[in-house]
Amino acid sequence: MKLFAAIDVGSYEIGMKIFELSQKNGVKEIDFIRHRIDLGTDSYNTGKISYDRMDELCNVLKGFKEIMDTYKVDAYRAYGTSAIRETQNMRIILDQIKLRSGLTILPLSNSEQRFLDYKSVALKSENFHSIINSGTAFIDIGGGSTQVSLFSSSELIATVNLKLGILRIRASLNELEPSSSNYERLLNEIIDNEIHTFKKIFLKRLDIQNIIVVDDYLPYILQKLLKDGISGETKENAVAGRDNSVTAGQFVKFVDKLKEMPPEQISSEVGIPMESTSLLKPSAHIIKHLIKAMEAERIYVPGVTLSDGIAYDYAEKNKIIKSGHDFERDIISSVDNISLRYRGEQSVSDLLSKCALAVFDGMKKYHGLDSRGRLLLDIAARLRDVGRFISLSAAAESAYSIIMGSEIIGISHKEREMIAYIVTASYPGEITYDDIGDSSNVDEKTYITVVKLTAILRLASGMIRSYKRKYDSVKAQVKDKELLITISTDDDITLEKGLFFENAGFFEEVFGMRAYLKRV
Amino acid sequence: MKVSSKTKTKAKEIDFRAPEYYFNRELSWMKFDERVLSEARDKTLPLLERVKMLGITASNLDEFFMVRVASLKDMVHAGYKRRDIAGLTPGEQLHELSIVTHDFANMQYSTWGRSLLPLLKENGIRIISHHEELSDEEGEYIDRYFEEQIYSVLTPMAVDSSRPFPLVRNKTLNIGAIVTPLKSANLLNNGQEKKKDKKGQKEAKPDFAMVQVPDVLPRLISIPSDINGKKDSEKTFIFLEEVIERNIEKLFLNYRIECAHPFRIMRNADLTIDEDEAEDLLHEIEKQLKRRQWGEVIRLEVEEGISPKLLDILVEELHVEDRDIYRINGPLDLTFLSKIASLPGYDELKIPGWTPQTPKYMKTDEDIFTQIRKGDILLQHPYESFEPVVDFIRTAARDEATLAIKMTLYRVSGNSPIIAALAQAAENGKQVTVLVELKARFDEEHNINWARTLEKAGCHVIYGLVGLKTHSKIALVVRREEDGIRRYVHLGTGNYNDTTARFYTDMGLLTCSEPVGEDATAVFNMLSGYSEPVAWNRLSLAPLWLKNRFLYLIEREAEHARAGREAHIIGKMNSLCDPDIIEALYKASSAGVKIDLIIRGICCLKVGIPGVSENITVHSIVGFFLEHSRIFYFLNEGNEEFYMGSADWMPRNLDRRVEIVFPVEREELKADLKHFLSLELSDTIKAHVLTPDGSYVKPDRRGKKAVNSQRELCREAKETARKRKETVEGRRFIPEMSPV
Repeated sequence: MKLFAAIDVGSYEIGMKIFELSQKNGVKEIDFIRHRIDLGTDSYNTGKISYDRMDELCNVLKGFKEIMDTYKVDAYRAYGTSAIRETQNMRIILDQIKLRSGLTILPLSNSEQRFLDYKSVALKSENFHSIINSGTAFIDIGGGSTQVSLFSSSELIATVNLKLGILRIRASLNELEPSSSNYERLLNEIIDNEIHTFKKIFLKRLDIQNIIVVDDYLPYILQKLLKDGISGETKENAVAGRDNSVTAGQFVKFVDKLKEMPPEQISSEVGIPMESTSLLKPSAHIIKHLIKAMEAERIYVPGVTLSDGIAYDYAEKNKIIKSGHDFERDIISSVDNISLRYRGEQSVSDLLSKCALAVFDGMKKYHGLDSRGRLLLDIAARLRDVGRFISLSAAAESAYSIIMGSEIIGISHKEREMIAYIVTASYPGEITYDDIGDSSNVDEKTYITVVKLTAILRLASGMIRSYKRKYDSVKAQVKDKELLITISTDDDITLEKGLFFENAGFFEEVFGMRAYLKRV
Repeated sequence: MKVSSKTKTKAKEIDFRAPEYYFNRELSWMKFDERVLSEARDKTLPLLERVKMLGITASNLDEFFMVRVASLKDMVHAGYKRRDIAGLTPGEQLHELSIVTHDFANMQYSTWGRSLLPLLKENGIRIISHHEELSDEEGEYIDRYFEEQIYSVLTPMAVDSSRPFPLVRNKTLNIGAIVTPLKSANLLNNGQEKKKDKKGQKEAKPDFAMVQVPDVLPRLISIPSDINGKKDSEKTFIFLEEVIERNIEKLFLNYRIECAHPFRIMRNADLTIDEDEAEDLLHEIEKQLKRRQWGEVIRLEVEEGISPKLLDILVEELHVEDRDIYRINGPLDLTFLSKIASLPGYDELKIPGWTPQTPKYMKTDEDIFTQIRKGDILLQHPYESFEPVVDFIRTAARDEATLAIKMTLYRVSGNSPIIAALAQAAENGKQVTVLVELKARFDEEHNINWARTLEKAGCHVIYGLVGLKTHSKIALVVRREEDGIRRYVHLGTGNYNDTTARFYTDMGLLTCSEPVGEDATAVFNMLSGYSEPVAWNRLSLAPLWLKNRFLYLIEREAEHARAGREAHIIGKMNSLCDPDIIEALYKASSAGVKIDLIIRGICCLKVGIPGVSENITVHSIVGFFLEHSRIFYFLNEGNEEFYMGSADWMPRNLDRRVEIVFPVEREELKADLKHFLSLELSDTIKAHVLTPDGSYVKPDRRGKKAVNSQRELCREAKETARKRKETVEGRRFIPEMSPV
C-alpha cells in the first residue's frame, strides 16, 4: 500500500487529495483539501501572478506539505494548470514555491490536463463504458477554457478546446459592468458566440444523448437536484442518484431558476460560498447551452477532479492498477478524426502506421525508445498527410501548422511540437535533423527522439508509394546489423522499393544500419 | 402513538408564525429557573440537594442577567424595536422580565429564609445571617478572626469631592456605608483639610464609603463548635460581610458610621466581539475580558432594610433604574450555597454520590482501537464512565500507528487529562491539531491559557473561526494500519470535560466507519480554513447544512402522516427556540405527526393549540444530573433514524455556530437510545410537563409507575456492569495459594 498526494494548482482553487494506492483496493481517496485562490484573474488579465497571490499560494502549499507529512506520503505529483501555464513569471513562481514549500510543481499543458480529467472519469465511473456507447460529450470546464470531447459508439471522435473558461467569462462580464437585468443576456451572448462555430463543424452529424461534466461547481447543483428528488419530487431522480445523473430537462429548469435568485439564495440553496456563485453561473450556463446545442437527454456529473486523474495516472504508470480502458486507443481515434477532417484516407494512415510501428518494434534494441515514443510515432504516421488538404506542394509546412493548431487529448504541448517536427521532417528535403536541433529549443533527449522517429517515419513513408496498397503483414527484423523489412502482399512494390532506397540513406545515417525491403 | 385525526388540519389555513403561538425565550428561560427552584422546594429531596438546587438558581439568574437582560438593555439603548417571535419588543420584554425576576427573587429568599435556613439549623448547620445574633464568645472569636485574617486584605474607600466614586466590580459583594467625619481629624483625606463651606465652617456632611468583600476569603466563616460548648457535629457559620460589617468602624477611624449595608451589582457582560475588525482574535478577547468588569449596571441587589439615604447614593452613582433594584430579604448572592451543599459528612442529607460505570460496549482489557473496529460504541455519560474518551486520546498519543489527532475543545476541566494527552501526543511526534474555542462564554480566559499550553507542546492550535463559535464536539485519530489508513472518530453531545461529564447527561459515539471518518477529516479541513466538501456522507453541519437537514427530516415525517402512515418525532435537547423548526413542528403536528419533546431549558413552542400543536408534548427533566444530551428520533415509516449532536434547535446553534449532528446506525445502539428516550418520556418524578397556558406541572402519576429516569439509568448501568463483571470473573481460574 502506498500513500500518494496529488496536488492541482488551478485557476481559482488549489486542491490536494491524499490517496491510498494498492493492488488490492485500487485508488482510494483518503483526504481532500481545497483552498480557493483566484490565480486565474491575475494571470489572464495582467499576464502575471501578483506577489500577494504568490505569497498566499506558497503558504497554502506549505500547509499541504505539512498535511502530506502528517500522512507520511510515499510520493506526490503536483501540477499547475492554465493560470500557472499562462503566467509570464511562471519560472519565478515555481522556484518560489519550491523554496518556500519544498514542493515541485510541474506545469501541465491543456491537453494533458484534460486527458487526466478524462482518465479519472473513465477509471472511476463504473458506468462510463455504457454511457459512451451512445453519443456522448465529455465536457471539462476550466477557469480559462472548456474542453469538449465527443464520443460516438465508444470511440473518441473529436476533442475541441473552447475559450470558455469560467474565470475568463467572469472577467469579461466584469469589464462590461452589466446591470443585473442584462447580466444573463450578456452571459448567454458570450457563450453562444463561442459555441456557434463548434456546433457547425462538429455537431452536424452527431447524435449526442449524454453529457458528462467535469467541473468544480456543478456537483453542488447535482447534489441539490438529487436531494430534491430524494425528498419526494421524482422517483426517477432517486434512482439516478446512484450514477450521479439527472435529466437534461431538470438541469436546464434549475439553471433557468438561477436567473431569479440573488447570490445569497444561490449560496444557501446550492450550498456553496457566496463568492463562488459568480463562477457557478457561467459553469451552469455553458452546460445549458451545450445541452441545447447537442439536444442531449441526460447529464452526468461524476464529481471527479484533476487530482483523481493524477492519482489514477500515477497508479497506472506504476503498475499499481490495471486499466480496463484503452486510453491510447482514445488518443489514436481522436488523431484519426483530425486526419479525416483534413480529408485523410483512413486506410493509408493505418497502413503507414502499421509500417512505421513494425520498424519501431523490430528496432527495439537499437533505438532505445519507450512506449510513449511508439505512440508519438503512431500519431505522426496518422497525421503525416493532413497538410495535403491545404497544399499539395507545401504539404509538410501545412501539416506542421495543422498539428500545432490541433488539440490532441493526452498529448502535451511539447509532444505535439515533436510530432509536428517528425511529420515535417519525414518529407525528404524539407528540414534536416540539424534544423531540428537549431530551430527549436529542445533538450538533447527530445532531439534524439525526434530524429530517430523521423528516420523511422521517413523509411515507412517510402514503403507506401501508392494509395491503393494493401499489405497483409509487415515485419521488421535486424540481422547482421541490417534491417530487413518483409512485406506480405500480392501488390507489386517496385515503386516503393525505389523511394525506400532513397529514404534508407537517412535511416542509415541515424541508426548506422542499412534497411532492405523484401516482398513475400 | 395514535394521533387524533381531527388535528389533521389543512396547513394552508393557519399562520404558523402567528406570535400568539410562541413563548418569549427569556420568559421561558425564567420558567426553567422556576423548575430548578421547585426542586429546591421539593420536601421529598434530601436537604443539601435542595440547598444545591437553590444555589444553582442563583448562578443561573446571574448568568441570565449578564447575558440576556444585558442584551435586551443594549437593544433598548440602540432604539431597536423589532418584535421577537412572541411579538414583544425589547422594552416590553424587559418590563415583563422585571416582574418575573422580582417575583423569582422573592421566591428564592422565601425558600431560603422560611424553609432551608431553619431546616439546616435543625440538622446541625447553623448559619448566622446577622452579626447581632452572635453570642459574646462567638463575637470575640469573630472579632479576632477579623483582625488576624480579614483586616489586612480590605481596602476601604471613601468618596468625597476629591475622590470619585469607586469602580465597583461586576458580581462582587460590597459593603456601602454612610460615614460622618469626627470633628477632630480627617484621616481619610490623608491629612488634607476638608473644603470649607461658605461660612468657613468645617463640613460635617456625611460621606459615602465602601469596602469590597474580598473574594479571596471564604464567604462563610466557620465558628468552632467548642466556643459555645456545642457538639462537634454541629457547625456554625457566619457570612464574611457580616463580620466586616460588625467591624467596619475599624476601617474608618475618625468617622462615625451612620449605617452600613451590603450591596452587589451585576454588569452587562455580554461579550460581543467585532470579529471582522479584529486583527488578532486572541488579543481582542483578552481586551474584552478586561472591559467586561466595567459594563453598565443592570441589577443592584441590596438588603431589604437598607437606609434610603445609602440607596439613593448607590442609585445615583451607579445609574440604576428603579426596576433594577432588588431588595433582598437574606444574604446577597446565594451562590455560596454550593459550598454548604458540599460540606463533608452529612451523608443522610445528600443524594448518594454516583460512580460512573464501565460502558456497556467496552472491555477494560482490550485495546480501544480494537474494540472500536468491532463495532460502533455508544457512551452514556454520566451513567457510564468518560474514561474511554480520555483513553481514546491517551492511547492515540502513545500509539506508534497514530499519525494525527484532531480535536475541537469548547470547555475543558481545570486539570484536563485530555489536554495533557494532546500535549504528550505532540511531544511524541504526532500531528496534533486542536481548535480551542476562545469565544466559549465565561471560559475565554481559561481557554486562552490551555491554548497556549498546547501550542508550547507543539500542537497546531486554531483559535476558533471568525464570526462563528465552534461548538461541535469531535475528535479524530488517524492511524496508518497494516491494511491502510483508518480513521477513528469520537462524536459527542457534550464537552470534552472529564469533570462535567460526571454530572451532565451526555452521549458519545466511538466509530471507525469510513464515511464518518471521511466527513470528520473534511470537518477539520474546513476548520483549518480549507474549503468545504461537495457533499457530506453522514454528518450534518451547522451553520450551512444542519437546519435544512432537520427541516427535511421533520417534513418527511409530515409527509408520512399526510399519506396516512404512522409518524413520530422525538427530540431531546436543552432548548428549542428556532422559529423555522417550531413552524415545521407545528406543520408536522397538524399533519398528524406525534411529537414528543424533552427540553430541559427554553422552549418557545406552545403545546395544545387546536389544529397547530395538539399532537406535541413537552417534558422537562430537572434532576440530580444536568440533562444535556441532544438526541433526535424519526420513525420514518418504520426505518427508524436516530441522530445525536451538539446542537440545540436554537438560531444560535443552527445559524451562528459550527455544530455537528451525526446518525447512530448500529441496531443495538439504536435500541439503547430508544429505551433511553422512552424512559425519559415516562419519568413521573423528575419530569415537568408543559401545559397549554405555559406553566409546567408534574405529570399525573395516577395509575402510573413512579419513574425517576436518571435513577433508573444509574441502576441499569450498574446492573450491566455487575453482570459483566460476574461473567468475566466466572471465567477465571483461581489458583489455590496454599495447600488445603
